[in-house]
Amino acid sequence: MLAKLIKGAAASATLALASALPAQAVDLQFYFPVAVGGGAAETIEALTNEYTADHPGVNIDAVYAGSYQDTITKVITAARGGNAPQLSVALAVDMFTLIDEDLILPFDDFIKTDEDRAWLNSFYPAFMENSQTGGKTYGIPFQRSTPVLYWNKAAFAEAGLDPETPPATWEEMVEMGKKLTKKDANGNVTQWGVRIPSSGFPYWLFQGLTTENDVILANADGNKTNFDDPKVVEALEYMVSLSKDHGVMEPGIVEWGATPKAFFEGQAAMMWTTTGNLTNVRKNAPFDFGVGMLPANKRRGAPTGGGNFYLFKGTSDEQLSQAVDFIKWITAPEQSAKWTMATGYVAPRPATWETETMKQYAKDFPPALIARDQLEFAVAELSTYQNQRITQIFNDALAAAITGQKDAATALAEAQAKADAILADYR
Amino acid sequence: MTRFDRWLANSGAILLGLLWILPLLYAIWTAVHPAEYEARFVLDAPLTLDNFAKAWAAAPFARYFLNTFTLVTAILIGQFVLCTLAAYAFARYRFAGRDVLFALVLLQLLVMPDILIVENYKMIRTLGLVDTITAIALPYIASGFGVFLLRQTFMTVPQELDDAARIEGAGTLAILWRVYVPLAKPTYLAYGLVSVSHHWNNFLWPLIVTNSVETRPVTVGLSVFSTTDSGIEWSVINAATLMTSGPLLIAFLLFQRQFVQSFMRAGIK
Repeated sequence: MLAKLIKGAAASATLALASALPAQAVDLQFYFPVAVGGGAAETIEALTNEYTADHPGVNIDAVYAGSYQDTITKVITAARGGNAPQLSVALAVDMFTLIDEDLILPFDDFIKTDEDRAWLNSFYPAFMENSQTGGKTYGIPFQRSTPVLYWNKAAFAEAGLDPETPPATWEEMVEMGKKLTKKDANGNVTQWGVRIPSSGFPYWLFQGLTTENDVILANADGNKTNFDDPKVVEALEYMVSLSKDHGVMEPGIVEWGATPKAFFEGQAAMMWTTTGNLTNVRKNAPFDFGVGMLPANKRRGAPTGGGNFYLFKGTSDEQLSQAVDFIKWITAPEQSAKWTMATGYVAPRPATWETETMKQYAKDFPPALIARDQLEFAVAELSTYQNQRITQIFNDALAAAITGQKDAATALAEAQAKADAILADYR
Repeated sequence: MTRFDRWLANSGAILLGLLWILPLLYAIWTAVHPAEYEARFVLDAPLTLDNFAKAWAAAPFARYFLNTFTLVTAILIGQFVLCTLAAYAFARYRFAGRDVLFALVLLQLLVMPDILIVENYKMIRTLGLVDTITAIALPYIASGFGVFLLRQTFMTVPQELDDAARIEGAGTLAILWRVYVPLAKPTYLAYGLVSVSHHWNNFLWPLIVTNSVETRPVTVGLSVFSTTDSGIEWSVINAATLMTSGPLLIAFLLFQRQFVQSFMRAGIK
C-alpha cells in the first residue's frame, strides 16, 4: 500500500515537472547596438524579459554591443571565432558585407505558413529594399529612421514667412533660406537659413537630394553605383550652391553631432536630420518647431536608415526557429509601438500605427507621422558589397566638392571609377 | 641660457599647458552646468550636479569601476612577474636562440593588437574563457614592451653588484629580487603608469570578448552616450568622461613628482 502510494506520488510529481518544464531549454544570444539616448538599452532588456516570462524554457541573453560600428566588429569577430549569436541588430546597409562574409541566413528558410508569409509582407516596402536581395530576405526592419526637415516657427514668423509652411521645393528652400539668414552689424551671420550636416556620413543626407533629383545611387544587387550620373552631379552642385552662391548655409563641412544644438540656439532656422532626433528636439527646443518632409525637386524623396535583425549561421535549427519567433514577437504592433515611443524610430509596419497606443501618441504629437508619410517616397539607403570602402570613397568625393577642392563633376567621376574597380569582382 | 631664451621657453610651456588643459576645462564647465550653457560662458550660470547623477544612472558604473580596477591590477601584476623573469633571462643569461627569441619579442611591438582580435578571440574561446576578466587581460600579460624596457634597465646594472651578491651566497631569484628589482624601481613605476592608463582606456577588445555587466569595464559603460542618431548631450557625456577618468587623474596628480622623475630616469618620453 505504502509502496503504491509512493509510486503514485512520484508519478504525479514527474507529471507536474514535465508539464512545468518543456522538453529542453533554448538559449539565445542577441547582440544589439544603441545609437539613441533615453534608455534604449533598458527598453530592449525590458522587452526581452517580457518575452522570456511568456515563454518558459527560452533564455535570451541580450548583449549590448556598443555603437553600430562596434556591433558589426563584435558580431563578425564572434562569428569567425565560432561563437556567433543567434540574432543581432546591425545596420541595414551591412547586409551585403554579412552575405559576403557568409555569416547570415535568409529568413525564407524559416517561413513556412501563410501567416509567416503575411508577416514578411507586412513591413513598409521602403524598409524592405535594404533587407532583400536576390529574391531572399536577410533583414527584418527594427530600428529604422529617415531624415526629415525641422524648422523654427518663431524664426519663420520673424522673417515674415508663414510659420506653418516649410519649403516644398529646392527653390523655395533657397528663397526662404535667404529671408531667414540674419547678419549682425559687422556682416557676420548670426542665423543661417538651413543646415544640412556633412560630417562623418554625408552620403546619407545627400541621398535625400539625389532621390529628390530622381536618381538611385546603387542597384539592388549591390554591385553597381551611379555616382557620376548627371543628376547626382546636379544634386551635389545644388548642395554646394547653398553656401557658395546663395549664402544660406554655413560653408565647409557642417558637423552632424552639433546640428541639433545649433538649431536650439537659433544658429540655423531649418535643419535636415534624422527622425531619431524627434524626442530630443521635442524636449530641448526652446521655441515652437515644425517637422516636414524634405523639399522636392523632380520628385519627393529620402533615404531610409537604421538597423535590421539578422539571423546568424552556426547554431541549431531549433534555436534559429526560436530566434525567428522572438523577432516576430518584438516586431508585433504592441511591442513595436513601445519601442517607437521610447526611441523615436519609425515603426516599420503599418499595423503598428493602427494600435490604440500609437494613435494616441500620434494625436499628442502629430510630427511623429511625418516620417511615416514620407516612407511612401523613400528609397533604400546606399548599400553595396564592400560597403565601408564604397561609402568612404563617396563621402570623400562629397567632402572634396563641399570644401571646394574639386568641382562636383570631377569628384564624382573619380569616385565612380574607384567604386567600379572594387565592385567589378561582384558582377 | 639668456633671459630671452628662458622667457621664450616659459611662455612656450604656458601656451602648450593651456592648449592641453582647455578641453579638460571645457569638460568641467559643461559637466557642472545645465545643458543650455554648453556654448554660453557666463559667470552666473547655475551650478548643478544633475549631469553626474544622469550619467551615473545610465549604466551600472559601480560594478564597471570594480571590474576595471580588478582588470588593471591583474594585468599589472601579471606583466610585472612575467616581464621581470623574461627580462632577467634576456639580460643576464646566454642560451641557444636568445637573440632570435628577443627579436621575436621586439616584433610584438610592431604588430597592432587590433589585427589579432579574431585569432585572440578563437584562442580565448578554445580556453572557454569568453566573458571573463581573465579573457580581457590574457592577451596583454606577455608584453613585449615591458620585456624590452626591463631588459634594457637590467643591463645597466653593474655586473659587480651581481657578483657581490653571489659571493654572499644569494641564489638566482634572490639576486633578481634584492639587486635588480630595487634598482629598476623607476622603470617599474613608469611602465606601470603606461600600462594602467592604457588598460583603463582600452575599449574594443573588452567589448568584443565580454557580454555581461559582471565583466565589462567602464569604457563600455561610457559608450552608451555615443548616441549619434539622436544628437549628443555634451553635458552628460562630459560628466561621464570626468567620472570615468577621474580616478586616474587624481592618482596622477597625487604621484606627479614620482612619475615625472621615473620617466626621466627610465628614459620613456
